[in-house]
Amino acid sequence: MKRILLVIDPDATKASIDLLEAARRMYASEELESYGLRLGAPNDPAFGILDRVIDPEGLHRFDLAGVADFIAELHREFEFSAVLYPATVYGRMLAPRAAMRLHVGLIADVVDVRRRDGRIEMMRPAFGGKMMAGVVHRGPNPVMMSVRPDTFHFGGGPAENTVVTRRAPATPGHSGVRLLERRPKPVSRDIRDSDILVSGGGGVRRRFGMLGQLADALGGMVAASRRLVDRGVAPRHIQVGQSGRTVSPRLYVALGISGSIQHVAGLKNAEYVISVNPDRHAPICSLSDVVVEGDAGEFIRRILERIAAGRSDGDPECEGREP
Amino acid sequence: MRILCLAKPVPDVDGFQYDYETNTLVRENVHMILNPEDATALAVALDVKRLVPGTRVETITMAPESAVPHLEDLIRRGVDRAILISDPCYAGSDTFVTSRILSRCIEDRSYDWIFGGSHSLDGGTAHVPGQVAQCLDLPQMSNIIEVDRDSLTGGPAVVEVDTEEAVLRFEMDRPALLGFQYSTTRKLPYIRYEDIDRDVRGRIRMVDNSELGFDRSEVGLQASLTRVAKIEVKTLHRKDTLVVGNDDEGIEAVYQILKRRGFLAS
Repeated sequence: MKRILLVIDPDATKASIDLLEAARRMYASEELESYGLRLGAPNDPAFGILDRVIDPEGLHRFDLAGVADFIAELHREFEFSAVLYPATVYGRMLAPRAAMRLHVGLIADVVDVRRRDGRIEMMRPAFGGKMMAGVVHRGPNPVMMSVRPDTFHFGGGPAENTVVTRRAPATPGHSGVRLLERRPKPVSRDIRDSDILVSGGGGVRRRFGMLGQLADALGGMVAASRRLVDRGVAPRHIQVGQSGRTVSPRLYVALGISGSIQHVAGLKNAEYVISVNPDRHAPICSLSDVVVEGDAGEFIRRILERIAAGRSDGDPECEGREP
Repeated sequence: MRILCLAKPVPDVDGFQYDYETNTLVRENVHMILNPEDATALAVALDVKRLVPGTRVETITMAPESAVPHLEDLIRRGVDRAILISDPCYAGSDTFVTSRILSRCIEDRSYDWIFGGSHSLDGGTAHVPGQVAQCLDLPQMSNIIEVDRDSLTGGPAVVEVDTEEAVLRFEMDRPALLGFQYSTTRKLPYIRYEDIDRDVRGRIRMVDNSELGFDRSEVGLQASLTRVAKIEVKTLHRKDTLVVGNDDEGIEAVYQILKRRGFLAS
């Protein structure tokens, strides 16, 4: 039996529970005993899913050194085979400290787990997502990794009788960090929830505002490549790609996007891809269902006209969506 | 006030080309740049130096000696001193080992704050700032988007951290490690014309293992706790693609597809 510890980020509870699926892939048929380290999650999403949930008493989650000490303390008692973190802002801050505290290696941003010849290989993007590296853990347990959100999905399992334990850390916190204020970001729809994404890259840098019109006509949302985000043209929360979000829409319209592997890494299971690019040999074209060879701004203008014409003609097939 | 900045030269991965015939990454003509988030952190530090008299900014880098011209460039932009940790036995070190080496070099130096980027462009693990902070027992935050400059002089530092759900404001006791998020508006200052050819070699301090004193078994590839077993080129899943022009015929084809597949909102 393998004992595993999942670190539950209260800002990303689904991604935290999805870690269980990554752990299952690591240990295939072996029986798992799952522990969750709950760091102030308001509602307990782990209840009924994990075997055991541990509530650290009096420990603030941004006391990163204190939480790292607490993870080390738990490991001394339970001897985990693996400790998994969601690769969120918080998970990525905490994991390196905990790994250093325990003197174990850490594998960041894992997107796939494979078993080969009895050893576990964690796949992660390298060179800005242009290649994938298969990384193995060396030395003593636990195996530590952060897992990219939305790459594994926990599909459910038999209900567990979750035992919740409150426990005060053996060593008191000593963080030197105090939270003064929390300003929630304005709630904007998440591009991961949209069935249709109209996404722009370097080729529409100066006409990015036009994308909204097409997204509205299709009932979708606007997304962007890293290039536009780095240039300040688009906000970071709509970035698709290795350093942005992983999306799985039904339709992805790629406008002026060349399709670096960095970008394609975020297009996990896009069902249908239409790309518009002056170069029909751009990398994005080989994974597109339809390629429109030409200028993206021109395309938006023309397709909007055609859609408007279809509506004013009372095209009956436009009245509702077909399955 | 002394600010120590972690500065890593990285290959400009945007310059990598991919050879689809041979399935290889073409790395020729790829130049090295300062890791963009480290550049943001250094820009903030140099800005503080400009506004707060008596501020000294030093950089610390672990890299091959070929990094010297980059460090000279940083000195000409306003850095007071650059430390280059370089030793052949450090080659192949993973983030765990790298953090221990950096920390040992830093622990004897005096500083008020350590600045760095949150992530690096090449490895992208984001491990080093947290692991250095752990080795040195310092408070640390990543993804910082704002720092109150006045708070740096007395401490605690007041910083704002960008997370998925919220912007969080913290105060951090001095000394601490501040990891910045990339910003398009924070740029390194230009080199002044009269400084272009200034000889700054004397401001670079070289550090090797004879000074840091690691046992050979503690550094390099053999000491690393993770190992890259293989590198795979990600192959794109090819589809049967319909190519159309951006003309009436092409637009009609796309329109009909959108309609047929139910993508046109009513």
